[in-house]
Amino acid sequence: MVKKGTVQAIVQYITAILLIFLLTWHLVIRVPWLRGVETFKDTLSPNLVYHEINAYGVLLLVFAYAALLHGFNGLRGILLEWTSGKYKNLITIVIVILIVVFGALATYTVIGTPNPNP
Amino acid sequence: MAEEKSKVIDNRPGWIASINPWVLRVVNNPERVAFVLHRVTGILMALIIMAHIFVTGTPAHTGWEAWVEEINKAQGFSLVTLYFFFFAGIAWFHGLNGIRLLLVEFFGVCIGKPEKPKPPYIAPSLKACQRKLLYLVFLLWPILWAITGYIVFFK
Repeated sequence: MVKKGTVQAIVQYITAILLIFLLTWHLVIRVPWLRGVETFKDTLSPNLVYHEINAYGVLLLVFAYAALLHGFNGLRGILLEWTSGKYKNLITIVIVILIVVFGALATYTVIGTPNPNP
Repeated sequence: MAEEKSKVIDNRPGWIASINPWVLRVVNNPERVAFVLHRVTGILMALIIMAHIFVTGTPAHTGWEAWVEEINKAQGFSLVTLYFFFFAGIAWFHGLNGIRLLLVEFFGVCIGKPEKPKPPYIAPSLKACQRKLLYLVFLLWPILWAITGYIVFFK
């Protein structure tokens, strides 16, 4: 029988493996000379950012959800430890709400970002 | 009620133990320093991720003008570049140490082989190459953070 604590640990490890690759990619695309631009600021120009969202939207969403799951699952573990599990249900509910709200925000960003050159 | 209470084990050292690397008075314990740094950077990352998702949604929420206005501040030493710099520093440590933890805890690499306990009773895991991985993390972290600082502030 799989215990809940084990599931939590597996979620942390699987999302961590995903995040190693996705975070590296996320940081590397901000390196100016790899993007063929002059400065860091230029890597954030609307055209490049829109191209990233358009071309790699699914990857960005996987990244956002993996980061949210990993981050908030970890935060939940820490809070449960600090409170000795006294407020387990409350903490779990708040964490789930935060994941849903910020997941929805990330999804809206990928779907709703307008073309800078309509 | 009393029975219910007894099920909860008190966290006697309290939350402060999470940010105190010397809560266990053990010499030569860099793993504890890494644990504390991993936890602190993890909490900060969880908070910054929320801000990051909110800020990167600016073009979708308010349009590209607001985005361009913010991005124009992303040069030299400004609040925007400092934000990127600190976020990257936190992410570098958490990521590098996370790779070490994955190798050690998830894949069981670099933890040494079990042996019969004998004086001076040093656990095989403390003599195994995970310690070298840890030193590598402490070496690579400032280097990568400095490179990020160069890109963010001077490029």
